Amino acid sequence: MTKYLIKRVVRGIISIFIVVLIVMAMVYSMIDRNQVFAQDPMFLKVSNNQKTVYKYRKWQEFGYIDYITFADYMQKQFEEGKVDDETRKKAVSIGRKPEKDSDVTAQYVAEFEAYCAANGYTTQRLNAVMATPKKVASGGNPQLFGYRDRPLWLRLWTYVKNLITIDNIHSVTDDVGERGIQFTTRDPLEGGKFSPAIIGNGTMHKYLLYCDNKFPFIHQNLVFLNLGKSYTINPGVEITTTMSKSQGSYVTREITYPTGFTELSADDLHSAVYQSGSLEGNVINKDRFVDNYTSVLTVKSNPSRMGYSFIIGIIATCLAYLVGIPLGVLLALKKDKLVDKIGTAYIVFIMAVPSLSYILIFKAIGNGLGLPTTFEMESKSKLMWVLPIVSLALPAIGGLMRWLRRYMIDQMNSDYVKFARSGGLSEGEIFSKHILKNAAIPIIHGIPGAVLGALVGAFITERVYVVPGIGGLLINAIGAYDNAVIVGVTLFYAAISVLSMILGDLLMSLVDPRISFTSKAR
Amino acid sequence: MDNELFDLKETGMTDEEMFSFVDHSVLESEKITAPRYSYWRSVFRVFFRNKFNLIILSVLAIVLILTYVYPAFVDYDPYANLMDSAAKHLTPSAAFAKFGRSIHWILGSGASGQPTFDAVWFGARISLSLALVCAAINMTIGVLIGAVWGFSKKIDLFMQEVLNIIGNIPYTLLIAVLVLVLSPSFWTMVFALTITGWLFIAYFFRTQVIIIRDREYNLASRCLGTPITRIATKNILPFMTSLIVTQIAIEIPSYISYEVFLAYIGMGISDMSLGRLIGAAQSAMLTPGWGFEFWSPVIVSAIVTIVLYVAGQNLGDASDPRTHM
Repeated sequence: MTKYLIKRVVRGIISIFIVVLIVMAMVYSMIDRNQVFAQDPMFLKVSNNQKTVYKYRKWQEFGYIDYITFADYMQKQFEEGKVDDETRKKAVSIGRKPEKDSDVTAQYVAEFEAYCAANGYTTQRLNAVMATPKKVASGGNPQLFGYRDRPLWLRLWTYVKNLITIDNIHSVTDDVGERGIQFTTRDPLEGGKFSPAIIGNGTMHKYLLYCDNKFPFIHQNLVFLNLGKSYTINPGVEITTTMSKSQGSYVTREITYPTGFTELSADDLHSAVYQSGSLEGNVINKDRFVDNYTSVLTVKSNPSRMGYSFIIGIIATCLAYLVGIPLGVLLALKKDKLVDKIGTAYIVFIMAVPSLSYILIFKAIGNGLGLPTTFEMESKSKLMWVLPIVSLALPAIGGLMRWLRRYMIDQMNSDYVKFARSGGLSEGEIFSKHILKNAAIPIIHGIPGAVLGALVGAFITERVYVVPGIGGLLINAIGAYDNAVIVGVTLFYAAISVLSMILGDLLMSLVDPRISFTSKAR
Repeated sequence: MDNELFDLKETGMTDEEMFSFVDHSVLESEKITAPRYSYWRSVFRVFFRNKFNLIILSVLAIVLILTYVYPAFVDYDPYANLMDSAAKHLTPSAAFAKFGRSIHWILGSGASGQPTFDAVWFGARISLSLALVCAAINMTIGVLIGAVWGFSKKIDLFMQEVLNIIGNIPYTLLIAVLVLVLSPSFWTMVFALTITGWLFIAYFFRTQVIIIRDREYNLASRCLGTPITRIATKNILPFMTSLIVTQIAIEIPSYISYEVFLAYIGMGISDMSLGRLIGAAQSAMLTPGWGFEFWSPVIVSAIVTIVLYVAGQNLGDASDPRTHM
């Protein structure tokens, strides 16, 4: 069984990576790369050569190309000690046209071009754009740079390589004194109470492991899942942060900084991240911190995007199973009676009608009942949760009823039921002990998928009721051409789907000992 | 004379004159006579035995006339009243007062002064055509590949992995990329919905084929030397008919549903389909007096899908030979 599981997991991981590869191929090569500037306000502001350079710089950031400017090249030469600062400064000021370069510049430009050619870069030189014969137009300075397309496999490799980052004491390159980690049973941030924590020096995060009174009580900053950085929908922020960071208004409370300074603040000192040179010359940080671990997150009052989706999804799922299973059993018991006909009519409604249409119908009914139809983050009202949860639960109930009814009716005609009846078992016993147990097996298979699926969110429901959830992330990213988010979210979805399939099979074999996935037992 | 016995000798004829031997045909003696059974006639007999199906069929006929025949006879220009600000967002009674009593205005008018009734049926024609074309393509490819997939164990292993991979590519992303690369036209949407859509149908039929493939009668058939092609067409395909019909009944509404969803998120086709009508009139939902322009496409989408679904399901039930007793 263990061997089978490992095989399944490995195959799952491989297929996830193939999915990521296909999606990368789709978003990077099939969509015109000029589209990424469609909603960029900066792009409209820059002009002439500046615009071209801006485009290439952004493409590098978005992972389309490798890009190197002449100035970068000279800087590198200087850092490697091949040229002195004087020569570097002289060389980088290129002429308005290639003919107008000074001798020093011309020499290094030729070297740069040779370097580019050797490494597969295409060089491009943009002559100055002149407003008047003497004056350079806005953004019209001459430019020299090289670029090369980044191949797909390299993109996938860098992505996979950076996917899981483990923080270690060599993460920070600055001189930070003695590197190391220390274990303490009394976390200084918890006011000297018993609270174990692992604190590092030289690591990216100061607190690698700590405990507090918030779910799940033990937190870690050691292993980090790096899905990529968003470019447009949440610029410069990690996708995992976008999904899991709390939202809403700041929660301020009295906190004591490492220097002993106390203040009402929303800072979460446990999240301190190293920021090079942030202590010296910054009065605010100097008052509060004793080292360069100054970049902290803030505590906000409301759940994250994923949190909202998960709360709504998980309640709806529980509700669906609690209501759907008894109803499905009832329909099977009362086959061809009035209850069955009403139930079947409902199933037909859910199966056939476009989901958008019935969610809007639920919204209108809810509005008629006086329930709030929009979700407001700052509102304390519990009523606003009702409609999104019900709108998610009702279709799920329909689906469960449909399958359970069908499985039960199939089981009712099978030989072992006839045998049990002839053996003198009562109808109740046959139903609860034989039919329901067998009919529930395929239903149980779907439970992990339903629970994990709550993490993905529900797009239409969240949009209709303006829930600040995660469901719209992929679609917003597609609309904003945010390639990194598309790839990251796809990876997340694929992982969830593979995981729920494996867990479903596992759960099914636990419930029903007849099911085995190893060929030996068969 | 009845019931009275009489001696044959009294007729005065010889045995040879009175009797003759019946021809004994070896071929005829092999024939087994059974009551005449026509599959499709039985299907329709069972289907029409349920009077409810007659109602559903007549509603389906009305829907089809309104979606395909009505638009052919009506001259509909959605922007004819664009400049007339008094023609927009009218309730039916206001529209009657303004434009006179005609069928176009029984659902009032929309945001650009267009008759909602016409808009809804022109939209339904696009949505329904899309669904029918997609269902036809996906079902054909899906059933054929599903049959092969179910029969060959080698292909099964390979296709399982393909399904694992393709099934995990977000459908929305695939459609969005195709719509961006090509243009948001009708045939692009058909292409986007069919490029991977057949895979899931093929998987469904693969499972069904595997279930029937190893039944005793097929085993017996194979032992007697029946070629695989004949087993597939004569033994398995008839069993599949009711499943195919039932599956079509699920597929057609699901494409309409998908079209509505895509239009709602702004990735639909450029024509004014049902989905785009719902998306465009969304703000009218809770505005007093504008309800008709929003609810009409919603209700029509519900009616069209429900009628198609129920008719298909019941036809699927009727085409199951076990109900023909």
